[in-house]
Amino acid sequence: MLRFKSWDEFGFQILVNGFLLTVLLLVVIPLWRVIMMSVTPIGHIDNGSFGMWIAPNQWSFEAFQQLLTHPNFLRSLGNSVFIAAVGTSINLLLTVPLAYALSIPTLPGRKLFIGFILFTFLFNPGLVPVYLVVTKLGLRDSFAAVILPTAISVYNTLVMKSFFEGLPEDLKEAARIDGASELQVLAKVILPLSRPIILTIGMFYAVSHWNEFFAPILYLDNAQLMPLPVLLRNILMSAGVNEYLEYDAFSSAPIEAIKAAGVLLTMLPMVALYPWIQRYFTKGTLSGAVKQ
Amino acid sequence: METIGNTFPPISTGKVVPLAPLTWRERVRGLRRAIWKHRAIYLLMALPLLYFLVFKYWPLWNTQIAFKDFKPTLGVEASPLIGFKHFATFFKSYYFGQLLGNTLIFSVAKLILGMPLAVILALAIYESSFRFLRKVTQTMAYLPHFLSWVIIYGVLLALLSPGSGMINEMIKAGGGQPIAFLTSPNWFRTVVIGSDIWKETGWSTIIYLAALLSIDPLLFEAAAVDGASRLQRIRHISLPGIASVIVVVTLLRLGNILDAGFGQIFVLYSLPVYSVGDIIDTWVYRQGILEFQFSLATAVGLFKGLIGLTLIFFSNKIAKRLTGSGIY
Amino acid sequence: MNKQLYKLTLCVVLLSLFLAACQPAAAPTPTAAATQEVVAPTPEPAKPTEPPAAPPPTEPPAKAEPVDLEIWVGASVSEAGQPPDDWAVYQIAKDKLGINLKIVLLPTAQTDADAKINAAAAANDLPDLFQVNREPWYRLVQNDLIATVDDLLPLMPDRTKILYSNDISNKLVTIDGKLYGLPQPGALPRTDALVIRQDWLTKLSLEMPKTLEDFTTVAKAFTENDPDGNGKQDTYGFCGYIESEGVGLLPGLGKRFEWVFGAFGLNGAWNLTSAENFQLNVRDPNYLKALEYIKSLMDAGVVDPDWPTLKKDEFRARWKQGKCGIMNEHFAALANKSNYADFDKNFPDGEWVVMSPPTGPEGKSSMGADLTNVRIFAVSKQAKDAGKGEAIARLLEWMEGEEGYYLIGFGTEGVNYKKDENGFVTTKDIDPEKAYTHKSQQPLTQLRNMVFNNNEIEMKARYVAYKTANGREMDPLKYLEQYRAQPWTEATGWSIINPPPGGADFTRFYSENLVQFVLGQQPLNEQTWADFLAGLDGMGAKDYEAEAKATLQISGFLK
Repeated sequence: MLRFKSWDEFGFQILVNGFLLTVLLLVVIPLWRVIMMSVTPIGHIDNGSFGMWIAPNQWSFEAFQQLLTHPNFLRSLGNSVFIAAVGTSINLLLTVPLAYALSIPTLPGRKLFIGFILFTFLFNPGLVPVYLVVTKLGLRDSFAAVILPTAISVYNTLVMKSFFEGLPEDLKEAARIDGASELQVLAKVILPLSRPIILTIGMFYAVSHWNEFFAPILYLDNAQLMPLPVLLRNILMSAGVNEYLEYDAFSSAPIEAIKAAGVLLTMLPMVALYPWIQRYFTKGTLSGAVKQ
Repeated sequence: METIGNTFPPISTGKVVPLAPLTWRERVRGLRRAIWKHRAIYLLMALPLLYFLVFKYWPLWNTQIAFKDFKPTLGVEASPLIGFKHFATFFKSYYFGQLLGNTLIFSVAKLILGMPLAVILALAIYESSFRFLRKVTQTMAYLPHFLSWVIIYGVLLALLSPGSGMINEMIKAGGGQPIAFLTSPNWFRTVVIGSDIWKETGWSTIIYLAALLSIDPLLFEAAAVDGASRLQRIRHISLPGIASVIVVVTLLRLGNILDAGFGQIFVLYSLPVYSVGDIIDTWVYRQGILEFQFSLATAVGLFKGLIGLTLIFFSNKIAKRLTGSGIY
Repeated sequence: MNKQLYKLTLCVVLLSLFLAACQPAAAPTPTAAATQEVVAPTPEPAKPTEPPAAPPPTEPPAKAEPVDLEIWVGASVSEAGQPPDDWAVYQIAKDKLGINLKIVLLPTAQTDADAKINAAAAANDLPDLFQVNREPWYRLVQNDLIATVDDLLPLMPDRTKILYSNDISNKLVTIDGKLYGLPQPGALPRTDALVIRQDWLTKLSLEMPKTLEDFTTVAKAFTENDPDGNGKQDTYGFCGYIESEGVGLLPGLGKRFEWVFGAFGLNGAWNLTSAENFQLNVRDPNYLKALEYIKSLMDAGVVDPDWPTLKKDEFRARWKQGKCGIMNEHFAALANKSNYADFDKNFPDGEWVVMSPPTGPEGKSSMGADLTNVRIFAVSKQAKDAGKGEAIARLLEWMEGEEGYYLIGFGTEGVNYKKDENGFVTTKDIDPEKAYTHKSQQPLTQLRNMVFNNNEIEMKARYVAYKTANGREMDPLKYLEQYRAQPWTEATGWSIINPPPGGADFTRFYSENLVQFVLGQQPLNEQTWADFLAGLDGMGAKDYEAEAKATLQISGFLK
């Protein structure tokens, strides 16, 4: 059992963990409901549990099966993985240097540059002005059209910059006095210390690529290039317009189940990603460095 | 100005200015030296800045269609100029006041309620000594972020429907009258704000957790030795430690104050609650779809940007005065 | 350990950048270049040998360089993906017709498709031939981006005979006397009507409702007298939702409540009976009465209270769960295998029968509006200016011919389908994996909406009669037949009325107030109604009516 140093500490832990437990319940109950939705068999009548309980022997994995065995599932998944991997790499390779540069207080013109990028955060040009540029650059119908226009997020850059600013100045100074160039400071001091934030921002980027469906719809013509969210949307659409879809080929699970299963399936890789990143979220990343 | 000044020891301390003020020639030389010294950094920034030029400023150049009667056959530059007509259309539109009000209410409420909750959750996760509960909550809390609004709508319906929703069944069992949460103007905003907090709080916690983890644990140890209580440590170490992130996130949210969550409203709203639910973006969407009015949509985008610019400018000043940190 | 992983990650990140640097450049080239390069070399080989010859369009197709045609079309099965590269149609187009065909499937959601086309239009980069919804189509014509096609019809006589000889559907794509699009047959008309649970009527010993009063009585009994006998009060007399598709630009309460307005002689937003009577229906005093009737149903609690917020899928989930006694539903959505299976499993004895629209106080009744729908295929101005009109006509004519029609509609004979002794398409004796109805074969028939003309072969193939798991005989076409036998109000003219002044605001004011009235969010009486009408006038209703009237008269819908 845990031992507490004082009653104060004990009370504090009760409070904190009580809060966490409440949050956990609030999150888990609706999530559970989504899971139940995804295993609803065809012709299921709710048993008065408001969709919260379906006996396990009645669970139907038809919806998952239908999605996973879809002829285009693997290709779409591959496209999604490619877009997320390449996109995130580009994101980080551009964001990290920029955020670092902007975090250097002595950089001449720093405010100007911040203003330069902040302006674009505030003024969103909107669909058509961006589309015109992507078309002029000849990027249509290629992954580049999906990846490049969102290569840097101002939000993520500025958050990362504020992290870099928060790193102890003496560390950077010490390195500089040792004769390290700014690039070396970035590589030897900043990057090792910034794992949590780089991974976090990387995850932000990866997730936004992963969920993107509008840019692909807008810019991609070739159906072979479509990522997973577009496929899922299309499956849902054709299940939803079944009064016009006269062929019975596509629906052996209730549409609610397909919706829920689709969401759960797309969540999966991202769900796996976070615990992996959490491993780097250990206290004391800094203290070790300071002692060195 | 300050940044340049910093490179000169004599004036960086402010008070020591009995020396003759620098001539502009010396300033230029100093500046040149400072720039040369940072040449590697500029090189590092070249590609990112190029990105902004191509994918942000070029489209921004195209936003001149907001002032034009845009004709695709003529192109952006050659379309005839019509001044502020599109802006006037927006400002004079029948529901303008209501749209602006709803947008602000949603946006501000989500910020004011959601932000502290995310910080508190991050602190709770950080402080909890139950490793298991901490890990599980941390992982589960961020999952709702991945649910689409369509799915959440399905869940909300199952919970809130006046006919068969779980919550309404409880109300009925308690002898109350069922409430049409999703179609009642009295409740709709609560549902919108509540469901947004439910979906996004865990996700926004991530950034504060990352910030908390960057705080030097030695500080906490030292405070513990000094006999500081938990709450005191939170107040004097944790919160100041993540203050700059809180400030940056808040300022950026203020910059986008007129984005009230299109995706959410679009799925959740319905005719009976338009009066309390319709926002600028849903209006633009309906108007745009009906009318092929890109110029109008662009004009509204510019208006939103202008409001954001003003807000961020002033709030940055205030933040700097209060906390010493800001965006720039 | 951790450090190593971290380094590894960084390495991967770096590596993928190199990949990325090559990829975006590499991926687009094949497709982008393919279309451009073919265009470019065309004149060049010609030049050295001969100075400018006759313009290609007039040359016979066999000798000319193949023409590139890009077609954007709505997929018939959105999830199935585009036709395979070795699709027979591509080969035939190239060999027989001298056309390099490129097919792009539009996103299924109507608004996504609109966005894609609008964006391409804004960049003046529209494809040669494309399917487009009416609203964006109208705007594109206004912006001079769409070509007239009158001169193409003589180039495809057979197709014109089959598809473009219907006066009404042609009117839907006519502006100022010129055809700005090819009107393919759209969704079938008169497909949504009232159906009632016959088993519930029997159980409660009730008569089929004939008047609005009967309707109220039956709906009440269905709500309160436990028609499904499960001991709970969990059923509703009527289920619905606000369906704003296919009812013009002023949806109001949507399609599902049309039968009420029909009982008062008013269907939809406009009175189209004659030029003198032409006005917004809300101006008719009977409209108020219709609303009062709907409100009485709401107040009695016999309508599923979620109706204002429900989406189509959720509405359907309700009747499959046995919550609904009467509803207004699409015949195929009700009776096709995939939807009905759910209901059939839950309620083997459940039976939906078609119900005539109840009559109003003056004995009037109508199920709703009878609208001719078209799918518009437009030729871009760019394509026409580039002389591609003739090639487009050549392709379309072939598509509607014997070879093209069956190939695009059903696949290859003997492989994907067979014809029975009466000439109907069947999958009997066909490898089920290869049958045109099989999941894997859907990419082959993605373009079928470009050739289908609602003939008997199609109808039989599309709406197959079948036996349910519980042995019930289901035939969607039987439902359709009975639907069509109900009284309907001809209203095709609706479709060509342009958006109201102030666009979305007018629409919102109109629909929002109607919903608020029936929900009791604002009182419904002579005074509030007059205020509502005054509000509409304040937003330009009078001008709108005048403009709409002029539009209808010019196109001949209003006499």
